[in-house]
Amino acid sequence: MAKKSPDAFLPLKSNWFHILLCLVEVEQHGYGIMQNVLERSGGKVRLWPATLYGSLKRLIQAGLIAETGDRPAPEFDDARRRYYKLTPLGRRVLDLESERLKDLVRILDLRRRQEARP
Amino acid sequence: MRPLVSGCGRLYRRVARAFPEEFRAVCGDGLEQLGPDIAPLVWQQRGVVGLVGLFFDLAVHLPYEYLSSLIGKLKEVTMSGDVFEGTWKARIDDSQWDTGNPTPQQACVRFEATDTGYLMVAYGIVDGQAVAERPQTISTDGRRRPVLDLGGRPIPGVPAGAVSFCSRPDPQTLQLGTEADGKMLGAGTFQVSADGKTLTATNEGTGLRGPFKVAIVFERVVPDPYVPQG
Repeated sequence: MAKKSPDAFLPLKSNWFHILLCLVEVEQHGYGIMQNVLERSGGKVRLWPATLYGSLKRLIQAGLIAETGDRPAPEFDDARRRYYKLTPLGRRVLDLESERLKDLVRILDLRRRQEARP
Repeated sequence: MRPLVSGCGRLYRRVARAFPEEFRAVCGDGLEQLGPDIAPLVWQQRGVVGLVGLFFDLAVHLPYEYLSSLIGKLKEVTMSGDVFEGTWKARIDDSQWDTGNPTPQQACVRFEATDTGYLMVAYGIVDGQAVAERPQTISTDGRRRPVLDLGGRPIPGVPAGAVSFCSRPDPQTLQLGTEADGKMLGAGTFQVSADGKTLTATNEGTGLRGPFKVAIVFERVVPDPYVPQG
């Protein structure tokens, strides 16, 4: 099966983008991702559990994230939880999506400046 | 209102367990844990509206996941690809295992088509431990090739000068063999059933621990866990 190129995932679904963003610096479990997205978006984006796990499943199958076998220190660990991490493909896709969004904002800013000119 | 919230948690867990096997294989029991875990928080923050939202999300995704799973299965069934390609899981009790080694609790083999044949990876669980065999390239042109790993290095335990070969007498069958110094070390077949659902692997020869003979029956894993769905 041929692997999809990173470009083929763009534009990235909003939920996917939020989840990938949460995993940039640290591996997270489902509850952690949900809380992180909620906080990061100032309470505007709430990933309900079935939406979250549906997205996690598809991200795993697309090869953008993977379940990690590494566990935190026992005192911080909950054995029931599965932890997820970004794959190199996921990081590349996130970078490309960030660039795409930046470009859109640049275009929007340029247009606004042009409109503001007398 | 505590009984209401805990009741919602129990109901949530029960519905979450009804998600398709394929979903649960990837996500584990994360969904059935997370819903009940956050129900009290949702109640505290958003009251009845929050609990309704929690169940609405579940109710929407349950049929969606079944549909997605069904589409995946249909794709597999209608795929006109190679008959070997895909992931196969052993029927442990229907197979004959090497008596010199412990019988695995789980065994899988995956075939990935390449330009010259296949990449084959075997893995499973033996004595409660995850084990994986060295990935193996299979060229189906019948030529003898040195038994080397994917990096072209010798494999520990394989006699120096060992060569392997594979031919495809018919589209459903692979015949493999390994020999060293003209002496056969092992020979076997992989044969896919006419309906494409079953793969039978046989292998017989003499290994490091003496003679072995295995006949393993695999069934195709549908949908393929390594192929992105929908």
